[in-house]
Amino acid sequence: MKVITELISFTEGIKLKSGKSLSSFDLMIETYGQLNEKKSNAVLLCHAFSGNHHAAGKDEKLGIGWWDQIVGSGKAIDTDKYYVVCCNNIGGCAGSSGPLSINPETQKPYGKDFPEVSVNDWVNSQIMLMDYLKIPYWHFVAGGSLGGMQALEWSIKHPNKIKKAGIFAAAVKSSTQNIAMNEVARESIRKDKNFFEGDYYDHNVIPKDGLKTARMLGHITYLSEENMDIRFGRKFQDEESKVGQNIDFEIENYLQYKGEKFTETFDANSYILMTKAMDKYDASEKSNLDQALKEVEAKLLIIGFSSDWLYPPERGKEIQVAAMNNNIQSSYIVLDGDHGHDSFLFSSKQYSNLIKKFISS
Amino acid sequence: MATELYKIIKEWVPSESKVIDFGCGDGSLLEDLIKSKDVLAYGVEINDLKIEECIAKGIPVVKQDIDKGLDEFESSDFDISIMARSIQCLKNPQVALHRMLSLSKKCVVTLPNLGHWKCRLSLASGKMPVTAELPHSWYETENIHLCTINDFENLCDEEQIKIKDKVYLYTQKRSNKFLQINPNLFALEGVYLLEK
Repeated sequence: MKVITELISFTEGIKLKSGKSLSSFDLMIETYGQLNEKKSNAVLLCHAFSGNHHAAGKDEKLGIGWWDQIVGSGKAIDTDKYYVVCCNNIGGCAGSSGPLSINPETQKPYGKDFPEVSVNDWVNSQIMLMDYLKIPYWHFVAGGSLGGMQALEWSIKHPNKIKKAGIFAAAVKSSTQNIAMNEVARESIRKDKNFFEGDYYDHNVIPKDGLKTARMLGHITYLSEENMDIRFGRKFQDEESKVGQNIDFEIENYLQYKGEKFTETFDANSYILMTKAMDKYDASEKSNLDQALKEVEAKLLIIGFSSDWLYPPERGKEIQVAAMNNNIQSSYIVLDGDHGHDSFLFSSKQYSNLIKKFISS
Repeated sequence: MATELYKIIKEWVPSESKVIDFGCGDGSLLEDLIKSKDVLAYGVEINDLKIEECIAKGIPVVKQDIDKGLDEFESSDFDISIMARSIQCLKNPQVALHRMLSLSKKCVVTLPNLGHWKCRLSLASGKMPVTAELPHSWYETENIHLCTINDFENLCDEEQIKIKDKVYLYTQKRSNKFLQINPNLFALEGVYLLEK
């Protein structure tokens, strides 16, 4: 698998949905495979809120890619056949412009001053990326969760630049409960004594405890009750592998470990920005969903997972019903999924077969 | 038989219409309709392997247990709905019929005829029929609501569903005059075009 990691600067800048602009911005991208002569095999992967450009293969710093079970040589999204592109979204913290980047006006990191970003902005930046990579259209745009919302947005806003979309464990918009969960996470970051209203870089600290708690809460919502039961049950953690004090149960150890790990790689300001983008996205904001999907020409593959309680399958069905009302060639399939909301990240025979067959049909 | 069945259904499905096929299986009927009549097709299926086959053929498909309802699709305006060789598998066939007719003005229903002489012979000899059309033993079959052609037509009558057209399928030829005297005894399958 030919992998290229590249940081691309767009000196022309971008106007954001909020009305603000970035006078210039960077996108960190990773590509797999090769664009064919006809330029007909490009695939765009859209990452979920805490994901990044590293979707497949093993990277020294970033480890195994977030969709490595699905993307690679001979896998569901076959990098031997397709030219696969993934970029870190603006506002993120894995190389693309975000709160950690230097604000050209102040020569200091943006911090809390990084402008609000939206799913729409990401799609617009990916349009610019397409031009840069000389890709005329995407054969397939896919993602799970917030990435699925991006795939949906692509099909709505740029019908002539996308042939097929894969919308997995996603929804037209976040539910009230989704927003509520995200607000608790954000509040725990804001209330960390090291947050300093988002200007913690100046103080050479990070709001580690707040970010960790936010991620721990997140993890609970990504897993299903049953999956947690099977994986951890009420088992006690063995003494040697406890990551902290006051730990009794394995689930406690798991959440502590995962939360801690997350703070080593993720930026708290990005956490706030990305969750806000997720909360504010609403494909049907200007009218109703039927109206919103009017221009869609792409074929859609909508997959939900019955163990997902964060974006349950019924949310995908709403898209399917609106798609059918608009005569869009759309399929909707619910799979069991063993991993709750996170099921979209993991390969299963059915899930992989569906993606593989949909792309090549 | 499948080719004969498809031929009849194709005659009833308008060109470029919007079609939904309940229990679409591997999507071969819809594939045929897309090719020959340029229809916009949606399949509904519960079997995962069959769903994969539909996806591979590029046929839009929804995974759904028809028994659990068709209501979600009611907002869509279909020209015709199809339920081929599936109605006998449903818990509430008459409810499904009404729902199909609220989805689309026309619907096609086909069903195996339990009144066929081979089935009667089987029952007369004290055994549940196992035939080419009903290949599974009573304990393996998904057919929980088998009926004869006459039973079905009576149900349509009772439920005030109009039978706009019907074709009976026989072992060999559709037009064998002798067999047509008593379709309930000789037809293997009834194919119906229904309207409200």
